[in-house]
Amino acid sequence: MMNSPSNPTPKARRPIDRWRWTGRLFLVLMLLYTAVPMIWMLLTSIKSGFAALQFPPQWWPDEPTLASYQKLLDPTNSVGRDFLRFFWNSLFVSTVTTILAVIVAVPAAYAFSRFDFPGRKFLFFAVLLRNMFPAVIFLVPLFILMRLLGLVNTHGSLILTYLTFGLPLAIWLLKGFYDNIPIQLEQAARIDGATRFQAFILVVMPLSVPGIIATAIYSFIGAWNEYIFAYTFINRNDQLTLPVGIQRFFSENTTDFPGLMAASFMMSLPVVVLFLLLQRYFVKALTEGAVKH
Amino acid sequence: MTCIALGRAIGRGVSAAAITASLISAPAFGAPVDLNKWSPEYVRSIAGTEEFDTAADCGKVTPLDYKGRLTFWYQGVFEGDPDLLRQYYKDFFEAFRKTYPNIELEEQALTYNDLLDKFRTALLGNAGPMVVRLQILGGVEFASKGYLQELKPEDVGYSTDDFWPGAMKSDIWEGKTYGIPTNNETMAFIWNADVFKRAGLDPEKAPATWDDVVKYSKQIHDKLGIAGYGLVARKNAGNTPYRFMPQLWGYGGGVFDEATESPTYKQVELNSPASKQALQASYDMYVRDKSVPVSALTNQQADNQPLFLAGQLGMMISHPSDYNVMLDLQKKATGGDQAKAQTVIDNMRYGLIPTGPDGRRAVVFGGSNIHILKPEYVDGGKVDEAAAKALICFWASPEWSLKMAYAGSNPGNLNGFKTKWMKERLDNIKFLDVTTSMLPYGVPFPALPETPEIMNIVIPDMLQNALTGAMTVDEAAEDAAKKVEEIMGGGKL
Repeated sequence: MMNSPSNPTPKARRPIDRWRWTGRLFLVLMLLYTAVPMIWMLLTSIKSGFAALQFPPQWWPDEPTLASYQKLLDPTNSVGRDFLRFFWNSLFVSTVTTILAVIVAVPAAYAFSRFDFPGRKFLFFAVLLRNMFPAVIFLVPLFILMRLLGLVNTHGSLILTYLTFGLPLAIWLLKGFYDNIPIQLEQAARIDGATRFQAFILVVMPLSVPGIIATAIYSFIGAWNEYIFAYTFINRNDQLTLPVGIQRFFSENTTDFPGLMAASFMMSLPVVVLFLLLQRYFVKALTEGAVKH
Repeated sequence: MTCIALGRAIGRGVSAAAITASLISAPAFGAPVDLNKWSPEYVRSIAGTEEFDTAADCGKVTPLDYKGRLTFWYQGVFEGDPDLLRQYYKDFFEAFRKTYPNIELEEQALTYNDLLDKFRTALLGNAGPMVVRLQILGGVEFASKGYLQELKPEDVGYSTDDFWPGAMKSDIWEGKTYGIPTNNETMAFIWNADVFKRAGLDPEKAPATWDDVVKYSKQIHDKLGIAGYGLVARKNAGNTPYRFMPQLWGYGGGVFDEATESPTYKQVELNSPASKQALQASYDMYVRDKSVPVSALTNQQADNQPLFLAGQLGMMISHPSDYNVMLDLQKKATGGDQAKAQTVIDNMRYGLIPTGPDGRRAVVFGGSNIHILKPEYVDGGKVDEAAAKALICFWASPEWSLKMAYAGSNPGNLNGFKTKWMKERLDNIKFLDVTTSMLPYGVPFPALPETPEIMNIVIPDMLQNALTGAMTVDEAAEDAAKKVEEIMGGGKL
């Protein structure tokens, strides 16, 4: 039987790109894997203490409430006062750590990238060596050191420690970035009369902004989330940072889940916002360092 | 359960006499509270009969105008704790500062599971606080290592007879006293009457024996598909021994002979047939019947409570504070949740902890003690002893040892039972009778420096080895006994 003109031959279907769809499915699953806990955290934070304990769970709270957020953000009650103080402490420690990390890592990474000095490879390895051991084995020695330096119960102990642990990767990250900036650009600047420092500031630095931002994000997140050193070095309520302060929602026999989730959500906000604003630099820095031009 | 019934239950307890004798073996002559008469009726009869003036009493120890500085660490109360208790803690520090306006107090509240580890680390760096309030397990460990100063009730204006002798034992190392009890607790058995009813069990009757607990747990699980008993086996968490040891002692086992009248702590009993029977009961619930929470190996009480309050757990061992926590949740719930919360409250039942096959009933005699450190282990190298004694006198007073233990425990100072606040507690906390009735069944943990390691590491390890199938019940018990022998022989895990 012949096809009539009114019944045209069906168009040839585009072959399904199975790999492409598998990839998409994988991404969707990964998105769910990362997003669902965040959504659940947010939903629990707007439940009452009793509603948070219900089973089967209330997927969407029957009686949503912002009571936990009101409590956390109200400086007139002790919970709010403490939370805001811990938040400020974390912000201070993380910001100072980040600024110092960038100030130290930028010239250090540049030196490792550009200069050929005796012991360069050994020193670079030595810088990374620290990261090959778990942080916890340094806990007691560092605590004793901080006490000898008179830094226990001060934010200085945390900033110094976070720099110790954060700098190796920051230097490694930035070195990879500098390695990919053609040295000819600096040479051209030198020929034009710039000093090495001027060439660094005027030519290399602008090109390395994504790397510096990535280093800053990395340092900030590391300091913002750190728990064990803050927990060990600080024994004063007015100096505690958020990761330790949030422990207060756990009691011997009970947990204030809505309060805990509201505090966790608030704590994740600065990092999420920072990352959303600067993620393109972060990704660029990580990939630039990985490819030789 | 009525007070009279509880009193009778105590009278019937086969092992109660021995355990009571262990607790009150110290001279009780002249003791303000007669422990030999202990019963719910007796507790009610003495409540509200005496008034105390804390400031005047402590003023005799440290003058109220004393000027000094004090650093203090303690297990704090936090957001999840009952509002009432948090208010009392706040009131305490306010009252202390008002009474001693010239003492600069720097207090640091720490969470239950973190206190010991943080304190140990601080001591390694000679950066401890001047005064610390530790769980009952901790005192002897730190006294034996030489960190603590001698301190007895008489040093802060009280008599040793004002405190439970069993609690005082936990402060004594090699004949010397290193601390003062602030609060003492014995837990009770809690069940959900509605769950029992739906599972075909008598909703007003707690399981009488541990064998019944195993049977009830299975019945609840089989009929309703929820967890029957709230077994916990998390490592390095105090909740685990507090819930397993009553079972171990109930069956007639023990780590040593700690549940006997005159313990010697010489012979390891973890591999005795009775201890193995107790472990077998946990194995039966977790592995054979699958009638306890799947997450029991990592659970602590804070994980059981939500399950219980959500009607997903039939029974558990816990404090009277659970009742207050539930009242708080109900108060803060809105709309339809408030009625649901009220239903949970209406279905809460408290009873005595079940006995073993031979009628032995036991519970951990828990609580906390307060200690003064030696200056060389304190940040700054100095201890302001007068300020330290002022704080300790305040906390261990009849008034504050009662108020600070209001919702979940009992006063360390026995005179606290005579205060008007005790009367108020008895009127307001529905199941307090049950937990005070468990006090005479309390068995103190062995007063040995090795006890924290044994209770928090070896016991949970034994449970985990058996419950995960890594070892048979026999092997797990033998392995644990061997570990205890090694620890007692000076070895470390």
